[in-house]
Amino acid sequence: MGSIEPFNRLVKLAARAFYDDITTKGENQPKTGRSDNRGIAVVVLDALTRRQWVREEDLAKDLKLHTKQLRRTLRFFEEEKLVTRDHRKETAKGAKIYNAAVAATADGQPNGREGDEKLKMHTHSYCCLDYSQIYDVVRYRLQRMRKKLKDELESKNTVQEYICPNCSKRYTALDALRLITTYDEYFHCESCNGVLVAESDKFAAQELGDGDDNARRRRHEKLKDMLTKMEEQLKPLIDQLGRVKDLPAPEFGSLQAWELRANVAGRSNGDPNANDPSKSSLGFGGTPMPYVGETKVTFLASSVYLQNLSILHGCLEVILLARNFLLLLWKLKARDCQVEVAFSGVDDKGDVKSLNTSTPMKVLPPWMIKEGMNLTKEQRGETKIETKMGSTSTTSELSDDKKSTIVNDESKNIQDEYVKAYYAALLMRQREQEETVKKEEQESSNATMSNDVYNTPSERQVGMKSKRDDDYEGDDVEWEEEAAPPAAGGGTSEHYKVDLNVEAEASEEDEDEIDWEEG
Amino acid sequence: MFFHIVLERNMQLHPRHFGRDLRDKLVAKLMKDVEGTCSGRHGFIVAITGIESVGKGLIRDGTGFVTFPVKYQCVVFRPFKGEILEAVVTMVNKMGFFAEAGPVQIFVSNHLIPDDMEFQTGDMPNYTTSDGSVKIQKDSEVRLKIIGTRVDATEIFCIGTIKDDFLGVISDPGATS
Repeated sequence: MGSIEPFNRLVKLAARAFYDDITTKGENQPKTGRSDNRGIAVVVLDALTRRQWVREEDLAKDLKLHTKQLRRTLRFFEEEKLVTRDHRKETAKGAKIYNAAVAATADGQPNGREGDEKLKMHTHSYCCLDYSQIYDVVRYRLQRMRKKLKDELESKNTVQEYICPNCSKRYTALDALRLITTYDEYFHCESCNGVLVAESDKFAAQELGDGDDNARRRRHEKLKDMLTKMEEQLKPLIDQLGRVKDLPAPEFGSLQAWELRANVAGRSNGDPNANDPSKSSLGFGGTPMPYVGETKVTFLASSVYLQNLSILHGCLEVILLARNFLLLLWKLKARDCQVEVAFSGVDDKGDVKSLNTSTPMKVLPPWMIKEGMNLTKEQRGETKIETKMGSTSTTSELSDDKKSTIVNDESKNIQDEYVKAYYAALLMRQREQEETVKKEEQESSNATMSNDVYNTPSERQVGMKSKRDDDYEGDDVEWEEEAAPPAAGGGTSEHYKVDLNVEAEASEEDEDEIDWEEG
Repeated sequence: MFFHIVLERNMQLHPRHFGRDLRDKLVAKLMKDVEGTCSGRHGFIVAITGIESVGKGLIRDGTGFVTFPVKYQCVVFRPFKGEILEAVVTMVNKMGFFAEAGPVQIFVSNHLIPDDMEFQTGDMPNYTTSDGSVKIQKDSEVRLKIIGTRVDATEIFCIGTIKDDFLGVISDPGATS
């Protein structure tokens, strides 16, 4: 993903070089000033460089374009092989995630603006830049341009083409034997008997007239001029191609694959990028579910990263930093933040465990809480957790209020904030009937092992599964899971229970129960 | 380019040739049938140089014709892209000129003729340099390079160029006569 910027620049350059004056309107429409949409192609391509897979309606809305117009442009780009598109019936997909009934109703609303006539099934189109192909397409195009000009210039090794001005049928010199006639010295069209015109002459000699004598020489000069002009004007593009040559092209994969991955990794790339894809992914789901998954995962990733840092340096500052980052995220997106916080809560537990066990390898995940403890009171570590647990079980309703307040509470104890966030996350999950691993841990720690937890792992695992798809994060998840069980031995009885739960969940995931239940 | 290769063909022989000189008749018929034909794969079959073997004949039901599988050696001529050939000009027009190299017809379009040669109409249409020292007209011999071939099942047609070093007119028939 780090290499996407040069590719975006390539796309932009190519758009301006080749698609600047493309108009995508039907030929039958009158060419009035208003309907002149040249430049739209560039706008669309630019917009696509800022997105990954995007629903076309969303894109149209963002660009303030009519969907029809956008679609025409995109179809053009699809033919040009710059863009990959995917169409699918949304509700079918939605049904997978939700019950069919829910999907039919809830999913229908957001899609209502555009779509096919079918009642419940709406076909939605998604589009995405295909960077590796764009690279090839642009190179090929340049190569063809250069070759054509050079061949014309040298008139070498080119098979002359002839074209019939009447019926615009084309012939090559290889057909010459069939085209000659006995009564004059021109080639004649086989179908309409018109006199054929050599195509290259037409190409360069349009403005030069038909003068035989100097035409050829002048054509030569003109071609040479064109070639140098081309090299000169396309230099930025060619340079960019060279720059991009050794970089791996950003690959988004197919829509489905991308969605899975985006759910996992969308957040870790930073918010602006993640927003658009998440939007579209929300589109199919129509619910915050994917969000939950995303946030969890990304948070995990970042936290793990931070953990590593902390392990390496063993300094509090890093952790503080991370905490601030968390808070920031929190403010930005209440819902997501909750989930994240919940995660941190989980981490906290892990921390406690790690503290107890005092085995550095296992300690990895829970750095965050640990910091908070250190900051506030060093001794609090365990007590804090305990209080949390108690509060989570009892005060699910409070979470909403707390949520809102949390944002303001930067100055407050980080610990408190965490607790609140934790509650909020718990509440969310309970509402949605989906429990995350963390929640399970929590509940188990509260010694309230509920059957719900076990019944609902499939939904939770929507997120988890996607997590695993992503290389890094998948590893991290495993780390945590592995870390948990050994910690159990060293922990208190409460912790021990928690660990058991974790273990059970982990095993479920490992066995790919997800697939069972979803399928 | 010429090749000496072995080909096989099933020959059908009329019963009236069955006799002492069956084999001669078979060979004569083979030559008549095959020489001068063109296959896209092997090119023009120029000449049969020998019979490798004649297989067992098979009498066809109903007709009494007998089919002999015959293996024969022959010389084939197959033009290739990039090959240099010497050819005789057969026709000159505004679009270029046609030439023949043995059985192969070659077209050289006017933009593959050197830029200093101009087309001159008249009784004998020709391409001439500005100083008149070189002239391409009917029956001129030219050396050309093949830049494209079209190979059909029974026909090969080539495009040539004389716009390269050492290509062009070899001798002018007008000078000798």
